[in-house]
Amino acid sequence: MADLLIEGLVKRFGEVRAVDDVSIHVADGEFVTLLGPSGCGKSTTLAAVAGLDRPDEGRILVGGKTYFDSTRGIYLPPEARGCGLVFQSYALWPHMTVFDNVVFPLTLRKVNAAERRRRVAEVLALVEMERFADRYPHMLSGGQQQRVALARTLVYQPSILLLDEPLSNLDAKLRDRARTWLAELRTRLGLTTIYVTHDQIEALSLSDRIVVMNSGRIAQLGAPQEIYEKPSDPFVADFIGTTNFLPAKVADRGAGSVSLELGDGQRIEVAVERAPDQGARVTLAFRPEQMRVASDGETTNGEGSIVEARVVTRSYIGGRWQVGLDLGGGPLRLETETPPAGDTVRFWLPRDGGIVFRENNRVAA
Amino acid sequence: MDAGADAAPARMPREVPIQYATALLVVVLVVAPLLPVLYQSLLDSALYDDEARLTLGNFVRLAQTDGFARILWNTFLLAALTTLVAQFFGTIAAVLFGRTDLPGARVLGELFLWPLYLSALVLSFGWYTIYGPAGYVTLFWQSLFGDAPWNLYSLGGMAMIAGVSQAPLAYLYCLSSAGMTDPTLEEAARVSGAGTFRTLWRVTLPLMLPAIAYSAVLNFTIGLELLSVPLIFGEPAGINVLTTFLFNVSATSPRPDHGLAATAAALMLVVICFLVWLQGRLLGNTRRFVTLGGKATRPRPFRLGGLRWPLFAAALLYVVLTGVAPISMLILRAFTSFLSPMIPLAEVLTFDNFTALMNEPIYARAVTNSFVVSVVGAAIATALIGMVALIVHRSEFRFRTPLHYVALFPRAVPGVVAGIGFFYAFALLPGLGGIRNSIWILVIAFTMRFIPAGLGAVAPMLLQVSPDLDRSARVQGADWWTATRRIMMPLMRPALVACYTILFISFFKEYATAIFLFAPGSEVIGTALLQTWVQGEVGVVAGLAAIQVAVIAVCITTARAIFGVKLHG
Repeated sequence: MADLLIEGLVKRFGEVRAVDDVSIHVADGEFVTLLGPSGCGKSTTLAAVAGLDRPDEGRILVGGKTYFDSTRGIYLPPEARGCGLVFQSYALWPHMTVFDNVVFPLTLRKVNAAERRRRVAEVLALVEMERFADRYPHMLSGGQQQRVALARTLVYQPSILLLDEPLSNLDAKLRDRARTWLAELRTRLGLTTIYVTHDQIEALSLSDRIVVMNSGRIAQLGAPQEIYEKPSDPFVADFIGTTNFLPAKVADRGAGSVSLELGDGQRIEVAVERAPDQGARVTLAFRPEQMRVASDGETTNGEGSIVEARVVTRSYIGGRWQVGLDLGGGPLRLETETPPAGDTVRFWLPRDGGIVFRENNRVAA
Repeated sequence: MDAGADAAPARMPREVPIQYATALLVVVLVVAPLLPVLYQSLLDSALYDDEARLTLGNFVRLAQTDGFARILWNTFLLAALTTLVAQFFGTIAAVLFGRTDLPGARVLGELFLWPLYLSALVLSFGWYTIYGPAGYVTLFWQSLFGDAPWNLYSLGGMAMIAGVSQAPLAYLYCLSSAGMTDPTLEEAARVSGAGTFRTLWRVTLPLMLPAIAYSAVLNFTIGLELLSVPLIFGEPAGINVLTTFLFNVSATSPRPDHGLAATAAALMLVVICFLVWLQGRLLGNTRRFVTLGGKATRPRPFRLGGLRWPLFAAALLYVVLTGVAPISMLILRAFTSFLSPMIPLAEVLTFDNFTALMNEPIYARAVTNSFVVSVVGAAIATALIGMVALIVHRSEFRFRTPLHYVALFPRAVPGVVAGIGFFYAFALLPGLGGIRNSIWILVIAFTMRFIPAGLGAVAPMLLQVSPDLDRSARVQGADWWTATRRIMMPLMRPALVACYTILFISFFKEYATAIFLFAPGSEVIGTALLQTWVQGEVGVVAGLAAIQVAVIAVCITTARAIFGVKLHG
């Protein structure tokens, strides 16, 4: 086991900087997720650590061993690194049985036959696949293939474990089960793990820390709760969970709060640490679950603001209704148990919890 | 590369010598015949002559050669007419067999492809036996209507044979393009009220245009390189083309003019290079035209209505007249002493031709040599091509892109030029005299010629194997060679079988390169066919051709039945 240090990593594809000056330190035994939309550079970063793709600049060290250093001209081929990588496609060799697949890395390491059998049996038991040792990959379900792929990686005790969207090829139900299973396994093994995904739920539920990436750069690095509750910019807010954005102008600055004026003149009171300037154009971001339909006669008070919006759509999503709103030209989403009756709806927004982004996207909350 | 103090000690990875050796071998193979040709074209006497001096005189002499303009014009005309015939029949066949409800379209399509598997040489003999001056059909026609209106010993007659033998290429390209077309484009036309033929004419055919254009250039190139048809029908009629000119002035003639031959070969090389480059450009364009790749839905076939059976009859007639009848009659000729509509078949049936063939050591040797060259040579070539494909598509070898270009370059080298080139190359290297007079020179030359064809069979299947499979082996600690050996090679087996089959057939029927290279003792069926033809032993020619056809037929059937090999598409 080892820690991972990535410093100033750059990978260019022609003119495009797929990975643009990325630096991450993953502590020994830590589980870190690279999260972002496709093309954000997360898989390229992973490939650089595994040695499948040669970066252009930067350094990669695992447990003090240099994998890559552009200034010293060091680039270890993948076979000299000792990483464990589980591919999105699992990459099980179709011409070999489960046993042969899993024993392959041990044969390469010239482990003796008895020890090989013992370790394969042990790791197949760990992933609960011991009964399938003689099967060929095409005879297994997607979830079983994924476990074999993981077993094949764990069997040689890699210094770090790299997982490239391992759950994305499973259907929704299986994915939930596999995620729970993976979470249990990681606590048991305590391996240093880099996990790449575009699924925020996987990222939030599995990780010690999350690295949100956007166009090759790190948008935010932090613990799951921090990322969710205090996104550093609208991109992160939007990518993690559903977020409503409202364009507004700073109408009034109070102590620890601002009063924002929406396009149609309505006002919302939001708590902030550092208030933007009077008259500044800002974007207010908040989660749909933070808002609720206001009861009759409820008015704006110290706890929150009441805002009125036009109802555009109503759709039943099972147990609840999703209501599409139009507020001064900006679209909003609201979830409620009873659909609003009229053309307009009054809803309540808490004073705390909303985030105010200045127009240049710098964090202000 | 310095691996650094904290990494494993620097050691040359195992893949380096393997990859460099393969690349070097390919470069030597491809360059070996080309450099001597270019060098010889600049010398005033044979290049193994110590007193040869550099000169540009050959170009002047070639331009002043009597009738050289005529030869160039004939070459162009023959290639152009051939292309026209091939495209005409190929395109119609693609539409008819691929896109309509014509009865028996699948079987007819298979029969249509047969000339592709045989050499144009064998097809020429077949045509001769029925449409030649004393041919079966010709005599039959004469007895009924007087003089036959056709003459194989003319540009038109030659273009017809060559066109028929190349029509399958146009057919295959148009067919695959028709298969990839989005069927909704046609359905849209029909929904908006266009009838069957209007849709065909206005939508289906225009969508095939890129495929037609590409296969036309390909067929034109092959038409220029063609040796067999002009040698058999053009020579006696005094119609010379570039290939027969080369044949006559080079090593095969009693008084070879090396300077002239090499210069003409160099000229041909330049023209073909240009055409192959053009093919590449056009292929790029066809890819741009394809809107959807690999869509599984098969377009709905057009209904021919009342024309179904008349068109079926026409298609059947074409297949029988151009392929089935000539080949069947050629095979029948092998089992008879004489073939004529005037004499009952029972009186002439005999095995004499085969007895003669087996008793004459030259012919028996030619058959054995053909087998050895094809069985062993194709295996060696497949191994080399497999390695090249793995290095080009599945390694970080620094020169993999240049290697790919070099490996594909033989497409631009006509068989006759390769033959002359290897002849010079081995003449220049005295140490290799032993190879020069053995069948191994043929194996070497054939391998060079068919590297692109083999790669064409291996590469698409190789690209279907997910790169994750070998990459995962690498991450787990296998170096390139181990990952290649343990993972890629087993997974490539079907591709290698297909490659071997294609090379076996190609080696077995090849003659154009061989006639410049064979020596007494290293004859193959192709060269023996031409020799016996010149000697007028039609029975032996038919016997040898029948053996070639039978072996190729068995090979194709086995490959398909046992390995499910797809030989085209």
